[in-house]
Amino acid sequence: MTLRSEVLELADSADAVYAAFCERDWCDGLPIIPPTAERVEAMLASVAGDPEESLGPLPPLWREATLEKLAVNAVMAGCLPEYFPVVVGAVEAMLDPAFNLYGVQATTHPVAPLLILNGPYARAIGMHGGAGCFGPGFRANATIGRALRLILMNVGGGWPGRHDMATQGSPAKFCYAIAENEAANPWTPLHVGLGYAPDRSVVTVFGGEGPHNVNDHVSTAASGILNTVSDTAATLGSNVKWYLSQSQLLVVLGPEHAATIAADNFSKDDVKAFVFEHARLPLGKLKLGGMWGIQDWPRWMMAVTDDQALLPVVASPEEILVVVAGGAGKHSAVVPNCTFSRAVSRPLTRLRAHPFSTP
Amino acid sequence: MTHANRIRVLNPVGEVKPHVLAAPALPSDLRGKTIGFLDNTKANFDRLVADMGGLLRERFGVKAVVLRRKANAATPAAKEILEELAKACDVVFAGSAD
Repeated sequence: MTLRSEVLELADSADAVYAAFCERDWCDGLPIIPPTAERVEAMLASVAGDPEESLGPLPPLWREATLEKLAVNAVMAGCLPEYFPVVVGAVEAMLDPAFNLYGVQATTHPVAPLLILNGPYARAIGMHGGAGCFGPGFRANATIGRALRLILMNVGGGWPGRHDMATQGSPAKFCYAIAENEAANPWTPLHVGLGYAPDRSVVTVFGGEGPHNVNDHVSTAASGILNTVSDTAATLGSNVKWYLSQSQLLVVLGPEHAATIAADNFSKDDVKAFVFEHARLPLGKLKLGGMWGIQDWPRWMMAVTDDQALLPVVASPEEILVVVAGGAGKHSAVVPNCTFSRAVSRPLTRLRAHPFSTP
Repeated sequence: MTHANRIRVLNPVGEVKPHVLAAPALPSDLRGKTIGFLDNTKANFDRLVADMGGLLRERFGVKAVVLRRKANAATPAAKEILEELAKACDVVFAGSAD
């Protein structure tokens, strides 16, 4: 295997390598695994394709996303080789024009690509969708999410304050990757709803804000929980609604909330319809700030004059994605998108033979 | 690979594939020219452009100013807008008010 990256020779100590990468602005501020040729080759062996193959130029600096560069960054992040097909699939998804990666990378908005993994490969590599899935403690989630960020920084060139112009950024920019808790999902998982077979492994990227908590400890019916979800989804400061045609909401239901809603015989489409009808803000409130005056709305919404009229935050129920993730407890989350990026899904197509169950 | 307490590591930074873009030179004199502004829709860009358009006419002899607005700040300008500006204007300023 021929690698083309520049080689640096450094003192062989964790401190020296860490310091050298920090000095060069080559890491996210956390210690890294040294990307030796041996480690990078092991990473590359897990996917089909030559090291020099590029998935495309990565914005905002339009550097080529070669498999080799992706692998170098995946090593640095701490990925095991079997995680790498997920990283590659996510980069392929982010490069779909519908995802508008340039906007996601360069905006002042605190958006990060949330990676959601569905299918048997998630289980094979231990991608976690249970208790605390948005938080620490799970190597696959932590290192796959971190690898994406290092790639966006080192290959894309999106450094805070320099091409990544996020005003405050977000903790989600360190790492934002989960599996769906398919076992606890009373409906079909995300990828099946998108038309993939249940035994396909599919990665989805969603350009979202950090999770907004939905605490509902008292509702025993679908309507109560979804009222709380809807209220969380409709806030003046969130990006969704201002550019309506590009607004999407991701509703991440905790298993207990999902079970309660399903026990009311709600389908996933019922969930979407309910949230679409209830996640609304009155015109009078929208006039208070946010992006009032520079919104991009359809003609009918621009014509509304009644300050009490309730206006939607997304254009249709289809713009609401519903997944189930998390563990025990009465919490869910709403992830509003940045309104200039649409969710994109890709099946994992570059898998090579590995010791796990066949995806 | 490690040699005598040294370690060899790979540079993680991506590389740009060289592209050649041919762009016409900017005119040295704006007299009689048509100037375009692409409004990114953020607050006050329209006011800034109104003032700049006036200055360009008064001080630099610009013939006409064309103002076009994107649908919103977060997406690229429509192809039709870019084609129209390219056809009508000698110079175009892309707005980035924020």
